[in-house]
Amino acid sequence: MFHPMANIRQETRRILDHALGLNGRALAFADDTALLGALPELDSMAVVAVLTAFEDRFGFVIHDDEIDGTVFATVGSLAAFVERKAGS
Amino acid sequence: MAFDAFFLDAPAGRRFCVHTPAHGAARGAVLYLHPFAEEMNRSRKMAALQARALGEAGYAVLQIDLGGCGDSAGDFGDATWAGWVEDALAAAAWLAARQAGPLWFWGLRAGALVAAGALAHYRGAAGLLLLQPALSGEQVLRQFLRLKVGASLNAGGARGGVEALLRDLESGKAVEVAGYTLGPALAHELAAAALTLPAGAMRIECIELAPGPQGEVSPALAALAAQWRAAGHAVRTAVIDAPPFWQTVELTVSPAVVAATVAALAPQ
Repeated sequence: MFHPMANIRQETRRILDHALGLNGRALAFADDTALLGALPELDSMAVVAVLTAFEDRFGFVIHDDEIDGTVFATVGSLAAFVERKAGS
Repeated sequence: MAFDAFFLDAPAGRRFCVHTPAHGAARGAVLYLHPFAEEMNRSRKMAALQARALGEAGYAVLQIDLGGCGDSAGDFGDATWAGWVEDALAAAAWLAARQAGPLWFWGLRAGALVAAGALAHYRGAAGLLLLQPALSGEQVLRQFLRLKVGASLNAGGARGGVEALLRDLESGKAVEVAGYTLGPALAHELAAAALTLPAGAMRIECIELAPGPQGEVSPALAALAAQWRAAGHAVRTAVIDAPPFWQTVELTVSPAVVAATVAALAPQ
């Protein structure tokens, strides 16, 4: 399944914005915008919502051992994770 | 508008059904297949509104509670995927015997997977209406288990939670999630369920919900739609700006989704 990388980065921002209820703020995030520890909205329920949204939109399945704090460090690290998953 | 509630004698037991007759000149029939577990309860109101609108548009609608769900006989913990597919086929036969014209299968979320399972055995369906379809049973299963254990980003936190539950299920144990007992047999069959359809010339109408005015169909569904077109089906996708009513804790009613449902089935 081929997804253009630019779309995945945009989709990542959209999903973050919706799951965390940021009302458009996430759409302006840069790749190096910090997530974990910097965004109070990113609690455990929000992480579940983000993972579920990625699965629904891209059709892959995320295993527990694939995610940790480094994946959610920045917008860029999260998008890179989705790119790897969508490309495999 | 009038509707009849009754118990259908399916091969595996009595199944609660609600039949909404076609109003005016009949255009065909629609069989509704509900989502998995809590998503079914949360979408009841919207399903009823959609059924009523379809009835007013000339479609007879049958809504069935699959075995162990809602008001049907049996316990959720004893339900099987094969049993649900049988229930769907029994409901389709009941509906086709009472309403002439094209028969549609309509699946919401995991109900789309049940519809695909039934269509592997049912010949003569005119169309398939997919509303925010679940793309694989494995995804449905993992998301359901994730409700119980959450997701932790801390090493040593809830890490392995979903995997531990899956191991329990594989070893033959039932697990309790959000008030539901999930049996190992159902989990095993669900994990193997896929949104694959036989080749043919059905109409397939897909509706996804996405926030915002410029929603795009998900890459995953777009890829499936391309496969179905290549297999001969006539596929259309639509994206509606509406909240995911099968998830929201507060009752969510979306007139735009009701209207899109009726529009999707309109003759082309």
